[in-house]
Amino acid sequence: MIVKRIGVTNWRGFLDPMEMGPFSERLNVIHAPNGTGKSSLFEAMRRALFDVHHVGGAEIEEIRPWGRKLSPSVFVEFSEGGNTYRVEKTFMDGASAKLFQEEEGRFQPIADGRNADTRLREILSADPPGRGLCRQEHWGLGQILWAPQGELALKQISGGVGESLRSALGMEVSGASGSRLEELVEARFLEFFTRGGAPKKGKNAAPVVAWQQKQETLEQELVDLREEHRRYEEASRQVDDARNRREQARREADALRESVAGLRKAAEEYVRLKNEQVRKKEIAEIARERFESIGRTLEEIKATRETIEGLEKSVATLSGENEQAKADVAAAKALLEKTRTAREVARRRRDLITEKQKTIDAARDYHACRDELTKLEQRLERLEEHETELGRVKKERAEMISPDPAKIRELRRRLGERAAARAALAASQVHLTLTPRKDCEIENLTDAGKHTIKGGSPTVFSGDEVVEVLIREFGSVRASGPEGGADAHRAHLEAAETRIKTLSQPFGSDDPDYLQKRREEADALDQRIAALRKQIEMVLDGDERDSMVGRRKELKATIDDFEGQHPNWRSAPPVVGLLQTEFETFSRDVNESVASAEDAFERSQSDHAAAEKRQVELNGMLKAGQGNLETAGKRLKVLVDDGLSDNDRDKKRSEALMAWQAAKAGVEAAESELNSIPGDPARELEKLEKQRQVMEEEVAHSRDQEKSAEGRLQALAARGTYSRLAACEESLAEVADRIRRESLRMEAIRLLYETVRDAKGALLARVTAPVEESASRMLARVAGPRLGRPIFTQDFVPDAINPEISAGPVNLQNLSGGEQEQLHLIARLALADLLAKDQRQLVVLDDVLNATDSGRLRRVLSLLEEISERLQIIILTCHPERYRALEGAEFFALTR
Amino acid sequence: MSVRFIHTADWQIGMKAAGLGNAAATVREARIHSIERILRLADDQGVDFLLITGDLFEDNAVDRLLIRKVGDLLGRFSRPVYIIPGNHDPLVPGSVWEHPVWAEASNITIARSADPIELDRCVLYPCPLKEKYSTQDPTAWIDAHQTEKIAIGLAHGNVEGLPEAEPDYPIPRDAARRRGLDFLAVGHWHSHVPYPDPDGSVRLAYSGTHETSKFGERDSGNVLVVEIPGRGATPVIECVPTGALRWVSSRHAVNEEGSLEDVLREVRTIENPEAVLLRLSLSGLLFTSDRPRLSSLREIVGTRFLFGAVEDEGLIPAPDDDAWIETLPGGPLREAAVRMREQAVSGSDEQARTVAARALIELFDLKEQSGT
Repeated sequence: MIVKRIGVTNWRGFLDPMEMGPFSERLNVIHAPNGTGKSSLFEAMRRALFDVHHVGGAEIEEIRPWGRKLSPSVFVEFSEGGNTYRVEKTFMDGASAKLFQEEEGRFQPIADGRNADTRLREILSADPPGRGLCRQEHWGLGQILWAPQGELALKQISGGVGESLRSALGMEVSGASGSRLEELVEARFLEFFTRGGAPKKGKNAAPVVAWQQKQETLEQELVDLREEHRRYEEASRQVDDARNRREQARREADALRESVAGLRKAAEEYVRLKNEQVRKKEIAEIARERFESIGRTLEEIKATRETIEGLEKSVATLSGENEQAKADVAAAKALLEKTRTAREVARRRRDLITEKQKTIDAARDYHACRDELTKLEQRLERLEEHETELGRVKKERAEMISPDPAKIRELRRRLGERAAARAALAASQVHLTLTPRKDCEIENLTDAGKHTIKGGSPTVFSGDEVVEVLIREFGSVRASGPEGGADAHRAHLEAAETRIKTLSQPFGSDDPDYLQKRREEADALDQRIAALRKQIEMVLDGDERDSMVGRRKELKATIDDFEGQHPNWRSAPPVVGLLQTEFETFSRDVNESVASAEDAFERSQSDHAAAEKRQVELNGMLKAGQGNLETAGKRLKVLVDDGLSDNDRDKKRSEALMAWQAAKAGVEAAESELNSIPGDPARELEKLEKQRQVMEEEVAHSRDQEKSAEGRLQALAARGTYSRLAACEESLAEVADRIRRESLRMEAIRLLYETVRDAKGALLARVTAPVEESASRMLARVAGPRLGRPIFTQDFVPDAINPEISAGPVNLQNLSGGEQEQLHLIARLALADLLAKDQRQLVVLDDVLNATDSGRLRRVLSLLEEISERLQIIILTCHPERYRALEGAEFFALTR
Repeated sequence: MSVRFIHTADWQIGMKAAGLGNAAATVREARIHSIERILRLADDQGVDFLLITGDLFEDNAVDRLLIRKVGDLLGRFSRPVYIIPGNHDPLVPGSVWEHPVWAEASNITIARSADPIELDRCVLYPCPLKEKYSTQDPTAWIDAHQTEKIAIGLAHGNVEGLPEAEPDYPIPRDAARRRGLDFLAVGHWHSHVPYPDPDGSVRLAYSGTHETSKFGERDSGNVLVVEIPGRGATPVIECVPTGALRWVSSRHAVNEEGSLEDVLREVRTIENPEAVLLRLSLSGLLFTSDRPRLSSLREIVGTRFLFGAVEDEGLIPAPDDDAWIETLPGGPLREAAVRMREQAVSGSDEQARTVAARALIELFDLKEQSGT
């Protein structure tokens, strides 16, 4: 298809009718500044050719001029298949469509309304959209031939365009029937798998998924049933074990019962023999007791007699020792009294130590008082001196009259004023200086004064305004000056003098230096007074004079007291060191004598106590011996009070011995009989009895366990686990078979799909080769051989390039922006060139080649010129100058 | 004084029938129905008693209702029944033999110990099993040499010579003679197997199961009617069929076009298909022209029989039968069909060949569907 004319009315920015054409069948450049409506014009052409006139929706509303309720309309005149057509469409309000065909130089209507839309699509082989506006995938060949602004890159090709390309290449991959079958294969594949080849999940999952889920459920159920069956068998074994245990326990209990019965008889016999043995032992013991009792009596009589004899000797000896002990006590007592007296004497000397210590302390105090008194008197003496001097200086200062510095400063100021007044006065007066050669008398006629002036001595006469003198022998001399002015100066002078007089009158002088000197002298006296006061304060050191005097009296009285107590101190003051030495010597002597006396006393005291104790002990022993002697006598009397002689008693003991020996023989006989039984069966019996009880308990326990296990077993058996297990395994086998068959079918479908896909891929790879070759040549002309060969997908979409120096294909994203732009343009041109094989086709390039440099642009333009032999090319641009070099191109300036 | 009895075993009541789909329940039920036929046979034959030598039940944990059902059936029988537990239903705590139905039936004796049971004209020597596995001869305790009455042993185990890896309950081949028995009735093996003595007399035999239990099981579905004329006399044994179901496992190699027609014909001739379990295995070449026959075969086997399965994974498209491929549109489809056919014929393994063959069938179906 090629386009001849196009026109719009009420289309976006175009309010007035706008018409453009006729276009060249080769190169056309439509240019206008940004925002003029180039792309709108391109859009209008697409809407006219592909959109149904009655389309609605928000998107179509956007083509109305802003803010107006106008119906956009468009017409396009184009050639297709050797015929020329005109389509006119109005959208929205009053929507209409008309299709005309040129016949004998005039356009004759051939369809209108929906028929026009349908007929137009048939002419252009376009795929209608399901609903709404058509999109790029509905443009038919326009998908390849028309590059909208910013969409130069070819992303996908839809519909039968791919087949058209293959047809143009003379290669049919599948054909119509093949395509249908391929679609069926693909549809079958998509029943089970996603396009990525993964098994479908969710609600659209293949049946095998549900079977597999059921299989998992059944497998889990089978595991549970097997576990239940295992528990049933385990319970059976437990019951069996419990029964075995109970039977074993019962047998053991029976055996134990028999053992216990036999042992119980032996134990009873043993007890009988044991009692017999005990009884005979008791008889033997009584016989032995009797024999030994007689023997003990005989031994006791003998011993008592010996005891009495010994006690008598002992009492005699103790009596003598007791007397001696009494004498020792008396002597010790006397010595004790003597040492006590000596100790008291020694202790009394300790009082002297205290007195001497007091004397030493008094001597220290005495010296302290005297030292303090001496220092106090020295302080009072210096105080007296300072106070006397202070009185004198104060008196001198009181007698001295001196001005204060302020007055002196005023006086100086007044003297200056007076001098100034005088000078001013003198300057305002007339002065006459006379220096006679010899003495002479001169009368001042001005003030009537007479003056004798020595020769050679100059004398000045002054007066206000005039001075007149009468010089004897000479005459009068009159001098005069200006009138007035002296009085004011004189007044100042008088005032100054009056003040000077007032100021200096108390001091007898108006000499400021003198007065200053007097002032300094007064200041020196003041400083002296202050220094003396300071010295007095230092001497007082915070004390009061009266308190110092009082303290001096106290000290003198204290010293007098000390000297009263120790008269010799008045003439010879005590030496503390000597007194201390004496004290220590004396103290040591006294303490030693006291310690010695106390030691002697303690020793005598101890001796006395020992003697007394000894005497008491001996006395006690004597009394005890006498008591024992008396007791032994009484005991002997009791022992021999049986009326028998010693011989009778010996005979009696022999008889008892014989009886005892007979009893022992009886005991031995009983023991021999008892020893015939090995050990006491009672302990063994007790042990066995316990074992029997334990075994009885074991039997009962085993019975309980058996009952319990039987209960569990019955419960498990009642569940009929095996039958359920069998049913579950049957279901599982059925499911597994279904899964196997379904899986086999799925694998077969996958194999079918993938094999068809691979076969088709291989064929398609062969189909795209001519396109790649054509594009490769164009790309080499524009960008040189560096970029190598473009690679297209099976659907003719440029996918990568294969540079000469690269080991493999390179993604297009790795190219520069300009090179990407050039490659996408070349891809479209190569495909368009292919499609233009049978008839000229329209190529629209909306604002492309913006990133291409001028060098390559020139080569691209050359390519466009060359390819325009077979294609109608319309370039929409806001840079017409870039295309001025296009030879034979028609330029259209778009204006509103 | 002769003795006449029925020897049966291995009823395996409650057994699982995996892989049979919906027919499993029917198969299980059939094993119970066969009991009724045995009892009728016993009445018809006028036997003295019935001997069941083990594995009456598939497992001790079968549904208690099954025990009740079997117990009631046997309890209603008018003649004595002697049963020994087998290795599937050993006499253990919680076993089927603790069910009260056995105590309720006065004619049923469960041999619970290896002690002789003296009857009027014979003495029974039962060998009940009390655990699932043992390497001991269960008949070792029997000494019937001194018995004047007819001596009959009941045992369950493996008679020497059977292909068992482990000697599980081994029974000597001459056990009957060695123990002084006139006849030793043995269970465990599901096929009927007589063991003749050197003189030709049979004193030891497996009765086999009363109802065939799986595909490939030979000489099963019978009971033995045994008559022993007297002590020391040769038993007269008759093997009588009792099974209601037929388990047919059939393999066919089809290598010529139209061969499936023969298979179809054979299948159609199987009588009483509602009582037949049929497993048909096909291998060889599948020709395009045979595909409708294969579909028919699948339909007949799947619908007419109690259970039917056609295992056709072994079929591969015939290498020379590429006519339909030539009718495919030229291009990727035909190319893919050729590739898959090559894979179906000479794939690397059986699975690959099977998948490729199935893929070709899918393509063929789609082609038919598309009308191409």
